Amino acid sequence: MVLVEGKNISFSYDFDDSSFALQGVDIAIEQGEFVVILGCNGSGKSTLVKHFNALLRLQHGELRVAQIDVKNEEEIWLLRRLCGMVFQNPDNQFVSSVVEEDIAFGLENYETPRREIPERVQSALALVEMGGYEKRAPNTLSGGQKQRVALAGVLALEPEIIIFDEATAMLDPGGRQEVAKIMRKLHRAGKTIIAITHYVEEAVAADKVILMAQGRVLASGSPKAILTDLDLMKEAGMLLPLPVRLYYDLRQAGVHLNHCPLTDEELVEEICQLRSKS
Amino acid sequence: MKTLPTGQYIPGDSFLHQLEARAKISCLFLLIAAVLGASSFWGYALVLATISTLLLLSGLPIRGAVAPVRRISWFLLIILLMNALFFEGEAVLASWGIFHLSRGGIEQGFRVVGNLVLILILGNLLTMTTLPTQVTTALESLIKPLKLIGVPTEEVAIIISVAIQFIPTLLEETELIKMTQIARGARFESKKLSERAASFLPLVVPIFISSFRRAEELSLAMEARGYRKARNRTKPKKAPLAPADYTALIVCALICLIQLLWRG
Ligand SMILES: Nc1ncnc2c1ncn2[C@@H]1O[C@H](COP(=O)(O)OP(=O)(O)OP(=O)(O)O)[C@@H](O)[C@H]1O
Ligand SMILES: [Mg+2]
Repeated sequence: MVLVEGKNISFSYDFDDSSFALQGVDIAIEQGEFVVILGCNGSGKSTLVKHFNALLRLQHGELRVAQIDVKNEEEIWLLRRLCGMVFQNPDNQFVSSVVEEDIAFGLENYETPRREIPERVQSALALVEMGGYEKRAPNTLSGGQKQRVALAGVLALEPEIIIFDEATAMLDPGGRQEVAKIMRKLHRAGKTIIAITHYVEEAVAADKVILMAQGRVLASGSPKAILTDLDLMKEAGMLLPLPVRLYYDLRQAGVHLNHCPLTDEELVEEICQLRSKS
Repeated sequence: MKTLPTGQYIPGDSFLHQLEARAKISCLFLLIAAVLGASSFWGYALVLATISTLLLLSGLPIRGAVAPVRRISWFLLIILLMNALFFEGEAVLASWGIFHLSRGGIEQGFRVVGNLVLILILGNLLTMTTLPTQVTTALESLIKPLKLIGVPTEEVAIIISVAIQFIPTLLEETELIKMTQIARGARFESKKLSERAASFLPLVVPIFISSFRRAEELSLAMEARGYRKARNRTKPKKAPLAPADYTALIVCALICLIQLLWRG
């Protein structure tokens, strides 16, 4: 089932439409997919996903998310419950100085009965592996822990789609791993994951990569198809993943691998095959 | 290097920790009135005894509880001097130009500083034994009556909560910006007042800009989690006041009353 379906979306932040942050974007995301939106700074990634939960109002085109027309004012609220979002800066997402109260914020907005709240806070914390931190102040946590608490606040509402807008960009490698691990876990549990990044490495394991540049979708397809395409990636201003770069460098030096590897393991595999051949 | 705000909540299960926040805030106001109302030796003896008892009941380390007094000791000294030198009292001991050092002035200075210190300790006792969110919820229910005159009390409560939450972040950021400015040659520590004042302006501007940016991001995050202005949300839990809360309220009201009687 197609969960996010957009046609010809254009958007301008200027009142006189002098420049466009999105130009004629078509998009389709299936239920249960792990989609990575890749693109350099200012390519329109955030602008696009902010349409999914109607943080930005659709100006041109059409967009339906989980069968809901985002232009329908009445259903925006429902939409935001189905489509949760974690932002880049962990420090700018908390409304309370106590973890459990912060997680309860979304539940309170949806008038969840008071007696159900503690249980749902607990299960959200357990999902992000932060059980035991309920009384802590967010500002005393590490970056990765903060993002996991922010995610728990989103998960408490039991969304179908979870959008991560560069949620790992401000974290150290350890924190990035922590969040990535939870993302994979949620994906396995059947959630639709939309992750924005400009680290190609984070796109390798996706079901689908959507490559953006200058407010347009340049291409979308499997990581293999997108990330190994030299010209495409160049046009988007993205660096190639290291194994891919090596593949092309080797080729220039006259060494031809059978397939273009995406991961380190695949690279090792290819090189081993090369050795056994010679 | 980090300057943590003093008066931060310290978990515990002392008598003061267990009192309901609404009761504690009401008691705070009663005791502040008692401090301001004290005028005689016995009056001050009573408030001092009260505060000492509260310190014991809080189970907090005395150092922590009086820390904010130490932090503003410079400010207190200035207030003391201003009062001592400018107060037009009798029994002038010495005078230089517009300054007159008088017995009345010195007394007045000590009284004002004493009151400030006592109030500061009282406020600190509240914030160190009460979760910020409990303070917010309690404030929200205490200002409920203002709803009648059109004050959006739920929103005020959320604003207070968010503001409290942002304080540590902003302090950290201020420290960071200060460091980068020092690295570029700002002179926060300069002896010359003019240099010092001038060095603070480049500090204020970036902090303002970043606060606005943060506020904007936060409001998006709140909206994304389904927050709508002026809409119903789950009501905060109403913990009924326990006998201990009523006792505390009655005792504080009595102390306040005694002060006023001694005064009048
Ligand atoms: N609030 C805003 N007001 C005006 N212009 C904006 C605003 N937000 C983004 N833009 C502009 O819209 C374009 C797309 O920005 P967007 O934030 O969607 O890019 P992005 O791909 O998310 O980039 P980044 O990787 O830096 O987050 C940029 O040219 C940016 O300058
Ligand atoms: Mg962005």
